[in-house]
Amino acid sequence: MEIIISNSSGVPIYEQIREQIKAKIVSNELKSGELLPSIRTLAKDLRCSVITTKNAYEELVRDGYVVTIPSKGFYVAEVNLDVAREEQLNKIENLLDTVVTLAKTNNIEKKTITEILDILYEEEK
Amino acid sequence: MENILEVKNLSKKYTGFELKNISFELPKGMIMGFIGENGAGKTTTIKSILNIIGNYKGEVKVFGFDNKKNEREIKEDIGVVLDDMFFPEILLPKDINTIMKDVYKNWDSDLYFKYLTDFNLPKDKQIKTYSKGMRKKLEIATSLSHHPKLLILDEPTSGLDPIARNEVIDIFRDFIQNEECGVLLSSHITSDLEHIADYITFINDGEIILSKTKDELIEQYGIVKCTESEFNKIDKQDYIKHKKTKYECELLVENKNEFKKKYNINTVDKISLEDLMVLMVKGEK
Amino acid sequence: MIGLIKKDFLMLKGNFKTWLILLFVYIVMAFQESMSLAFLLPFMCVVTMLSTFSYDSYNKWDAYVCSLPDGRKNSVRAKYIATILLILVTVIITAILTIIIGYYRTKTINLESMGETIMGAIFATTLLQSIMYPAIYKFGVEKARIAIFIVVFGFALIGGVLSKYIDFESIIQGLAFLENYMMIIIPIVIIIMLYVSYKISEVIYKRKEY
Repeated sequence: MEIIISNSSGVPIYEQIREQIKAKIVSNELKSGELLPSIRTLAKDLRCSVITTKNAYEELVRDGYVVTIPSKGFYVAEVNLDVAREEQLNKIENLLDTVVTLAKTNNIEKKTITEILDILYEEEK
Repeated sequence: MENILEVKNLSKKYTGFELKNISFELPKGMIMGFIGENGAGKTTTIKSILNIIGNYKGEVKVFGFDNKKNEREIKEDIGVVLDDMFFPEILLPKDINTIMKDVYKNWDSDLYFKYLTDFNLPKDKQIKTYSKGMRKKLEIATSLSHHPKLLILDEPTSGLDPIARNEVIDIFRDFIQNEECGVLLSSHITSDLEHIADYITFINDGEIILSKTKDELIEQYGIVKCTESEFNKIDKQDYIKHKKTKYECELLVENKNEFKKKYNINTVDKISLEDLMVLMVKGEK
Repeated sequence: MIGLIKKDFLMLKGNFKTWLILLFVYIVMAFQESMSLAFLLPFMCVVTMLSTFSYDSYNKWDAYVCSLPDGRKNSVRAKYIATILLILVTVIITAILTIIIGYYRTKTINLESMGETIMGAIFATTLLQSIMYPAIYKFGVEKARIAIFIVVFGFALIGGVLSKYIDFESIIQGLAFLENYMMIIIPIVIIIMLYVSYKISEVIYKRKEY
């Protein structure tokens, strides 16, 4: 499992860990029932504190992506991928909302925005 | 969560220096970074925990036991690195093994010699021929070889180059894989702690001014940079300390996100432990 | 505690060469004349033990040892036991050498005079150490040297002044009857001195903050 942590991105480290594990679950790279590394091992490998990985796991548990079995460890939960996708779509909608507001206040046409979107999409590939 | 170390209202008076009501708690399985300027009271606190100095007021509990009543049992399970205090340098590292076998019930000669090999420390040379970094590593090897549960380390990385520091930090990380263990680590090299510590306790002029999880500190605290006119509009209670320079005002704030919401100032930086230390000590209210 | 006693002996190992050289000088000189060299080895004990104190303080061993289980309790005791053991070792070496050399020179063995000489040497050694150790624990090695100098000098001065008023010789003559019991009295005095010195050192060490 690959997790890449940036110390200078401004995003809290536990969030980076949480999001990356979430993404791996949603993309089915981590399959349900799979055992995740322990809090301590992960902290050691990522060179961060135990509390950081603990926070990340706790939030994954809260959001239903991971289940914890006491004295055994953390396992990937049965995730309803549709629900997960829905959640991500919601996030995108929120972000786009900001974009639209910004565009409208600056009198930028929808066409220009879709053009930018197209370019960005191509670049990503 | 159970505490492996509890310090309650520790006070000690010297002429010209005083420890004032030091209190903090270290839960099991965690590493606490103990930071502060030289002379702030780190070593005095550590020496009190270990009863190297006595006559202090207050209470210290290790593994839940009083550090004076159960001193012997407690110390069997503590590993210590003290700043600049160790075996006489005329001895050889292998002598340390001969001596310590009779000092600690759980002394593990094989483990000790394994550390010496791992750290590239010759066991047949007098300690006085060692470089400063080698000495530190020897002290660390010694502190770990009786399978302690609590490590108390005063400046264990001082004098080490970055590579050796990393090696040493990795050893502490390995050590903490056992969740029954704990580490109290004093250092003024704050970048070491940023990577490894779960808790940060900050001592200044004999007083604890902060004891929090590191994540809380790094994620919530922030440095605001603004102009003097902006600064004048800011409520005094919304920042902890401030520092004015020729070009800007720097403010230490406890919750950078709330601050951003309240004021229309966008330069709010993430804080490093070093910034925090400097602003806490040098900044004004 | 055994570990801490070992520590002092392991430290002496570092001075081993000095010991051998002195032993050699001793033998050479003893072959030429004079039994009074019996004092040499016990005094070596004082010097070497003093050097262990210096090394201890240089690397702040006392603070470190207090962090070890029972370290504070055992540290002083170990020092005294190491001292006694070292005296015993040197006495045995001295005795053996004196017998060999004496026999070589005179073809006789005078155990009585040898016993007296060695007892005198032990007495001088332990007297010095009994005063020195508490002083070292209290003031540190460097200051203790000055303190001991002052004490010795002070004694000499007081003795000198008193001798003008008190007739020491008649006192000594009055005590002459004790002479026959010297070989019993001196060991007892040595033991009492060491014990009192040890107790004082222990109290000092218990309160000491490093």
